[in-house]
Amino acid sequence: MPTENLTDKRMSKFKNKGKEPTKMRDRRIAECVELRKAHRVESILKRRNISSFGDEEPLSPEFNTDNEQVISATIQEIVASVNTDSPEMQRQGCQAARKLLSRERNPPLKEIVEAGLLTRFVEFLGRNDDPMLQFEAAWSLTNVASGTSWHTQQVVEHGAVPAFIALLASPMLNISEQAVWALGNIAGDGPSYRDALIDCGIIPALLARLTPDAPVGYLRNLTWTLSNLCRNKNPFPRFSAVQQMLPSIIQLLHHGDKSVLSDACWAISYLTDGPNERIDVVIKTGILPRLVEMLGFEELSVVTPALRSIGNIVSGSDLQTQAAIDAGVLSALPQLMRHPKSSVQKEAAWAVSNIAAGPCQQIQQLITCGLLAPLVDLLRNGDFKTQREAVWAVTNYTSGGTVDQVVHLVKCGALEAILNLLQVKDTKTVLVILDAISNIFLAAEKLGEVDKLCLLVEEVGGLDRIEFLQNHENNTVYRAAQALIEKYFSEVGVAESHLLASFRNPFVFPQRSP
Amino acid sequence: MELNDANLQTLTEYLQKTLSPDPAVRRPAEKFLESVEGNQNYPILLLTVLEKSQEDVIRVCSAVTFKNYIKRNWRIVEDEPNKISDPDRTAIKANIVNLMLTSPEQIQKQLSDAISIIGREDFPQKWPDLLTEMVNRFQSGDFHIINGILRTAHSLFKRYRHEFKSNELWSEIKLVLDTFAQPLTELFKATIDLCQTHATDINALKVLFSSLTLISKLFYSLNFQDLPEFFEDNMETWMTNFHNLLTLDNKLLQTDDEEEAGLLELLKSQICDNAALYAQKYDEEFQPYLPRFVTAIWNLLVTTGQEVKYDLLVSNAIQFLASVCERPHYKHLFEDQNVLTSICEKVIVPNMEFRSADEEAFEDNSEEYIIRDLEGSDIDTRRRAACDLVRGLCKFFEGPVTGIFSGYVSSMLAEYAKNPGVNWKHKDAAIYLVTSLASKAQTQKHGITQANELVNLSEFFVNHILVDLKSPNVNEFPVLKADAIKYVMTFRSQLPKEQLLEAVPLLVSHLQAESIVQHTYAAHALERLFTMRGANNSTLITPTEMAPFTEQLLNHLFKALAIPGSSENEYIMKAIMRSFSLLQDAIVPYIPTLIGQLTHKLLLVSKNPSKPHFNHYLFESLCLSIRVTCKANPDTVSSFEEALFPVFTEILQNDVQEFVPYVFQVMSLLLEIHSNSIPSSYMALFPHLLQPILWERTGNIPPLVRLLQAYLEKGAATIASTAADKIPGLLGVFQKLIASKANDHQGFYLLNSIVEHMPPDSITQYRKQIFILLFQRLQSSKTTKFVKSFLVFINLYSVKYGAIALQEIFDSIQPKMFGMVVEKIVIPEVQKVSGPVEKKICAVGITKILTECPAMMDTEYTKLWAPLLQALIGLFELPEDDSIPDDEHFIDIEDTPGYQTAFSQLAFAGKKEHDPIGDAVNNPKILLAQSLHKLSTACPGRVPSMLSTSLPAEALQYLQGYLQAATVQLV
Repeated sequence: MPTENLTDKRMSKFKNKGKEPTKMRDRRIAECVELRKAHRVESILKRRNISSFGDEEPLSPEFNTDNEQVISATIQEIVASVNTDSPEMQRQGCQAARKLLSRERNPPLKEIVEAGLLTRFVEFLGRNDDPMLQFEAAWSLTNVASGTSWHTQQVVEHGAVPAFIALLASPMLNISEQAVWALGNIAGDGPSYRDALIDCGIIPALLARLTPDAPVGYLRNLTWTLSNLCRNKNPFPRFSAVQQMLPSIIQLLHHGDKSVLSDACWAISYLTDGPNERIDVVIKTGILPRLVEMLGFEELSVVTPALRSIGNIVSGSDLQTQAAIDAGVLSALPQLMRHPKSSVQKEAAWAVSNIAAGPCQQIQQLITCGLLAPLVDLLRNGDFKTQREAVWAVTNYTSGGTVDQVVHLVKCGALEAILNLLQVKDTKTVLVILDAISNIFLAAEKLGEVDKLCLLVEEVGGLDRIEFLQNHENNTVYRAAQALIEKYFSEVGVAESHLLASFRNPFVFPQRSP
Repeated sequence: MELNDANLQTLTEYLQKTLSPDPAVRRPAEKFLESVEGNQNYPILLLTVLEKSQEDVIRVCSAVTFKNYIKRNWRIVEDEPNKISDPDRTAIKANIVNLMLTSPEQIQKQLSDAISIIGREDFPQKWPDLLTEMVNRFQSGDFHIINGILRTAHSLFKRYRHEFKSNELWSEIKLVLDTFAQPLTELFKATIDLCQTHATDINALKVLFSSLTLISKLFYSLNFQDLPEFFEDNMETWMTNFHNLLTLDNKLLQTDDEEEAGLLELLKSQICDNAALYAQKYDEEFQPYLPRFVTAIWNLLVTTGQEVKYDLLVSNAIQFLASVCERPHYKHLFEDQNVLTSICEKVIVPNMEFRSADEEAFEDNSEEYIIRDLEGSDIDTRRRAACDLVRGLCKFFEGPVTGIFSGYVSSMLAEYAKNPGVNWKHKDAAIYLVTSLASKAQTQKHGITQANELVNLSEFFVNHILVDLKSPNVNEFPVLKADAIKYVMTFRSQLPKEQLLEAVPLLVSHLQAESIVQHTYAAHALERLFTMRGANNSTLITPTEMAPFTEQLLNHLFKALAIPGSSENEYIMKAIMRSFSLLQDAIVPYIPTLIGQLTHKLLLVSKNPSKPHFNHYLFESLCLSIRVTCKANPDTVSSFEEALFPVFTEILQNDVQEFVPYVFQVMSLLLEIHSNSIPSSYMALFPHLLQPILWERTGNIPPLVRLLQAYLEKGAATIASTAADKIPGLLGVFQKLIASKANDHQGFYLLNSIVEHMPPDSITQYRKQIFILLFQRLQSSKTTKFVKSFLVFINLYSVKYGAIALQEIFDSIQPKMFGMVVEKIVIPEVQKVSGPVEKKICAVGITKILTECPAMMDTEYTKLWAPLLQALIGLFELPEDDSIPDDEHFIDIEDTPGYQTAFSQLAFAGKKEHDPIGDAVNNPKILLAQSLHKLSTACPGRVPSMLSTSLPAEALQYLQGYLQAATVQLV
């Protein structure tokens, strides 16, 4: 009978009072359009090799000039040399090109391409008989590929990819290393070249070189290239490729060199920056405790990608978040929230905001592990970007937390802190704060302590600020502010709702009036 | 419409007519224009007239008409026809920028508005060349044109300051930055250079500075969402120049006007905003520049005068310092004792001084002064900004700042002591300083709730405040007296009770002061003190403690209403109300005199009600007089009726709309005091209350319903015996009310009172019609609110007349209807009923249906028996279902235009809670158990079998609990 079902549904509602899974967790920093300069903390997409050999003479003046004529003359000479049949001349030309391309400032990438040199350079990659030539050509191409997408494209279109992959196996370590580097640059260009490299079998070729005796410098390059193979979305690298690389990346995450660690960790951060299935693959490797351990490192270059990875993981499902919590992330976060670098504070607050979006058991763990005090500190004293994340944490917490948990947060000073932030010059943040305030009021309603909360809000100047927002240019903000005022701070509002709710007492008046 | 001379001529003529003051000419012309605006070429014709007409009025008129046309028609709404043809759109966009720039200012403004309306829809996708067109004009060198462009750009870009981040928005901003940022920067530099070239040419400077102000505004908009790469790279250029402009002074640009901000002030004010934006959001990048700005802004504050025209600049500048000084990593900029001293001395103290403008307001515009000073509408004032800065500095430097200010306070007080007559303003500033320093948290209800522990408030009270309160001449130094009174009021929660008690008689004496601000503050302070709570939730100040001053208090309060300017002073009236409420029995001896004064006042204000708050408190005071007096002696009610009815009659006869709802409430209060009989004076009025015209006004409805309920409670029998012919009228009111979604609950209040109190026989003939009306409403518009009231009503009916009567009346309307109601309404909706009394009525009513209605046991209704029982158990055990269907959310708001009754509700006319079932049933769960038991003994075996086959286990478990509690068993 229909009525029976209806009642049953209510019965079940009773046991699970109005608790619906919050869907705030998927909030990510995933805006595509950016106004800012690219993030400085991220690992670099492409790198140029500008090192010089210790035994080499300092670059002659001709290599350090910006004079177009001199450069053009030099390039003419290079073209001439490279196009001879003399290996010696070819080597010299190639080396000259490499030096030009390795200058600190304004390397003539475009000029080299336009001089038609790439065809020859790629050809030279196959000259197993002349390792010196191979090396110089590989270096030059590496540096061209380090330019813009257009430059990388020129290198790829001249057929360099198969040649470089073949060179990975070169017995000459320096040549193999240069190939690793060049391929890293190509992989870093974007998902399509990355996938092209994978299709060409780069992964097994790379992993074959990952041996215990490989020198650190080589490993650094290799790790970086691996990380670029994990990088970029739309589309993500395919699962099979990830599965192939993961064991080695995990292995590298235990390496002693900080630079290797950093890039291996960046790889993990790319792999976890995706849908929950992607995160699952990483969690299943059992790497979480190690990531948490790395959160405690001194080096910012390690902490940053480790924190990013953790942040990504806790933005996943409740189970995934719980796995991170079980690995001890909550004991590592407080010190990161107090880190001297504001970028670290911000990322830590972001992670907290995602944990706070979970079920109340996880929120309880935030309390138990002492994250509320540093969170409130960030609300008070963090820089703007950190405050913004911390505000999200409060809103998520208050929408999913139990009444007791919300009360606890207010007692820690979060309410006063977010009320102060109502003056920030960021519309979204203001709206998110208004949401949090509304959540806190809902909790107060359940406790019958709305009046007390009203006074608290007013005391710390919050009422003035909310009233002021009723003049906000943004309609959503103004309506949210107005709704709060009408519901909780206007005697008329209280009287009216009372009137409608009650039959017995048409003229019962709120205690606060008149 | 072709673009020809004839059409241009016609259009010109109609435009001319729209300017006519005669509506008979103007309206048809406006109608005509609207009727042709759908034609192609219409906007082009308008623009042609605008461009070609010889007459300026026609050109302006055409510009305004054009703008309004764009406003109405440009947006393309989905599923609606495009109201402007594509060729017209293209032509408008191709010409309008040029046209705007070559037009005089009055027209330029209209066209600029039109461009931003179009831009809002079309920019950037459908108007790709707008920006380049604008940017190209920067090179014109003609600042009339450049300012036109800048103004248009400002109206296009200012939305970046408040819209939410989105990919779409940011793509647009990115596009704007790519095209606009570089030229804007070049223009900025060039304009600054030109300012130097033309440093002595006032006219040129004026134009250039307005350009600079607009450029600074654009900077703010473009930098608001995030720090753009371009501006990060060019921060040096912008910030260096902003900094220079902040420090710049040009004698030529100084204005003589004291009130209106000049160009220089507007520009610097905007630069302060820009710096504040960067300091708040782009801290990391802005850090190298920040100290310079702090110094510059601080110097600016030190050198800026007290004139009103600088207020915005000064308050923006102080707010900048206030926001910076509380950030931990800028702490060091303020740490130095000399810096702190200098900020206190040169920035804070001067801006807290009582200015001549304040003095004028105190004397001549007391109402506004009070609102600003007391109710905190001072958000942009210098004093407010200075207070915020004090609070900001106290975050890290509470000790030093308190120390510095204490020194100032002492020296200012010393100055005052030397020559109070001349130096009284020093004391005012000292009190203000102490107040702002001590306030850490404040509410209207309690005053300061948290104070700076370093300030000794009691000591200051004794040494400096009490003197002024005790001053024998209440009319001397009214500002200081007002300050002293305000001090007591502000710190009431912080001062010990003895000091408050010491202040009370002094405040009473200040009620006599001539200064409106002063006696208003005294009244307000007393009112606030009387609301303070002490132990056991009673008032802090007791009637006993007030006994020695009661007479004087009442006396002075009423006398204060006679002081010129305060005859309708809401603060005084509120203090009267609060005094009555506090003193209770103690006022009884004075009421015979005071009621006369109150009625007299009522008579006066009813001629022209203009102060709603005053009037409200006046009625509240009347209610209190009645309640307090009649509680001691109910017989005195007649003397109130004697005193009040003449005035009430006049109010009702003259139909004083504002007061009628109050009168009904006071009458209800009076009538309810009578014990179970209704005086003839009320009965005489009864027919008038049923006049439809009274019910037309929404504000009358709640108090009138309540009054009729009082009539029914006290005089149902009298109505049935002597006014039976009025019963249809009474039901007519019910019928009118339930027809309205906004008022249907009021109709049910009335109906429930009728069912509860009227002798059953007197309404027998109307019952069926009542149910039919309710059904019609259910069919035509069923809302949650209506259903809730309906459920309460039918269950009350079941309680009152029996479940069989309920079933029979439904089934008499239409066979099987009772079953339908139970199945479709009672079972699914009863969970929505809210309120303990309502729920109790439903519980008892349903219990009767289950156990006293044979049809439920032996007909096709039987299948509903178990579900109904289950619904009842749900009503007992489950949380209330407060869900409302989406489409119902806004009904109440929309259907009640001008619903202002909430305001006119009198707290002290409040009605006692009424439970129509009362003690007859204390615990409905037990009643259910007992009734089921009774039923089961009447037909053994049936009840347990129905329960076991149809009731879910969980519900059954609850039911077992009730049976156990009632110690009964089902058989």
